[in-house]
Amino acid sequence: MSWHPAHGRHVRVSTLVLVVFLVLAGGCATMPDPGDPEAVAEFNKVNDPAEPANRAIFELNRGLDTAFLKPVATFYRDVIPQFFQDRINDALDNLRAPVIFLNDILQGELDRALATAARFMVNSTIGILGVIDIATEMGLEGHDEDFGQTLAVWGMPEGPYVVLPLFGPSNPRDTIGIVVDFLVDPFNLWASNSNRDFAVFARTGSRAVDLRAIHMEALDSLEKTSLDYYATLRSLYRQRRADEISNGKGSANLPAPGLGQAPLDDGQPPPGDGIKTSEKTSRIR
Amino acid sequence: MLNRRCFLAVLLGPAFILVLALPLPPGGAFAAGLEVRAEAFIQSMAQEALESLTQQGTSREERIKRFRKMFNAHFAVRSIGKFVLGRYWRKASKDEQAEYLSLFEDLMVTSYVDRFQRYAGKNLNILKTRAEKGSAVTVFTEIARPDGARPVQVLWRVGARGEIIKILDVVVEGASMSQTLRSDFGSIIRQRGGKVSGLLEELRVKTASLKADAGN
Repeated sequence: MSWHPAHGRHVRVSTLVLVVFLVLAGGCATMPDPGDPEAVAEFNKVNDPAEPANRAIFELNRGLDTAFLKPVATFYRDVIPQFFQDRINDALDNLRAPVIFLNDILQGELDRALATAARFMVNSTIGILGVIDIATEMGLEGHDEDFGQTLAVWGMPEGPYVVLPLFGPSNPRDTIGIVVDFLVDPFNLWASNSNRDFAVFARTGSRAVDLRAIHMEALDSLEKTSLDYYATLRSLYRQRRADEISNGKGSANLPAPGLGQAPLDDGQPPPGDGIKTSEKTSRIR
Repeated sequence: MLNRRCFLAVLLGPAFILVLALPLPPGGAFAAGLEVRAEAFIQSMAQEALESLTQQGTSREERIKRFRKMFNAHFAVRSIGKFVLGRYWRKASKDEQAEYLSLFEDLMVTSYVDRFQRYAGKNLNILKTRAEKGSAVTVFTEIARPDGARPVQVLWRVGARGEIIKILDVVVEGASMSQTLRSDFGSIIRQRGGKVSGLLEELRVKTASLKADAGN
């Protein structure tokens, strides 16, 4: 499992020891019976060979979230007026612009790079250090990019699913992406060159609270309605990343249920559903 | 709202009649007809959601009842349920299949009744439609959010057979409902030693707790 050097040094030693212990104790997922090709295909598609270790880290992250991040994000969402939440979100988005610009260039998306640069100039000046996203008001909408996406555009495979401590769902490609984006970010460079490490903490912490508050409702709802929250988030992470990599153009190409040769479901209970037919009918009509 | 409906009716009506009236060669022209029908279908479903789900003072129980009716009328419940169970569908007995489909419907209805309200009426804006393989189309929509944030991109996979037209999948910001459920259910079945009965047990517990939920 790859580690995140830039952030790793900030992680408490005790947490590290616990995580390493859990990873070793968790071990690897049980291989399927090699004589069952369908099971083997499914195992490869799930692509989570370190699942027990990943689940242990997932639970650790969930514990930390419940204890610290979620309460803070809930307070932030409920107490801070929406107007100020939007200003904080805009400012944090604006700070990311240089990294987005770099990745636009690396992906050969010159139009998008120009848009990012224009946005950054407008928002940092007229928008008062990014606090007001004037560019969007002017019709210049923003987008996100990161080095994980750039590596994907360059053809690097994602590798197996990995849950990072604190950072959550990832894979080797996106882990490299997080490290590279962190190292080239001008804000972080400025902070570490001028002994202002606290600024990096403050930014990372605010971003975590900001994103957690924005996704509160969706995550709560997923946690409540899914049978296996871990597997649901694993699937969603991959699908969302694939969508982001294609800049939203690829999501219609997923395999989906087809009507195929099966009788088209017309809302009637299927044949053989004798037990519940009367109940179901009375429930509907 | 009314203006938009009128506008759509004026726009779509003649196109629909034109498509029906022409002696149709197979392929392209037929697919175009389906695209028009699919858009009208999604638009009318959004209107139905507005009328039946968003009234003030309707109890959650009543909303669940109404949404169940909508869900069965507009979604290919059996096809989606089979896709979500994947290879385990064939391994399930007839009784297990029947109970699974019933619990699957319960899970969908109780999970989506609160979320689906947001897809109602003028919140839903159709962007474009694209023909897919077979007699299926994807309707691209965006759903406005109340706080004025960037709208959510939602794709509707719609399939048709003859007169009947049904939703096969909903893709929200690149995440497909059926794919996600397939991963969720598959993981449970693997943990239960490949047995569908294990999934049914967990579905019974989950649907019971979601029904009892206050729906906040």
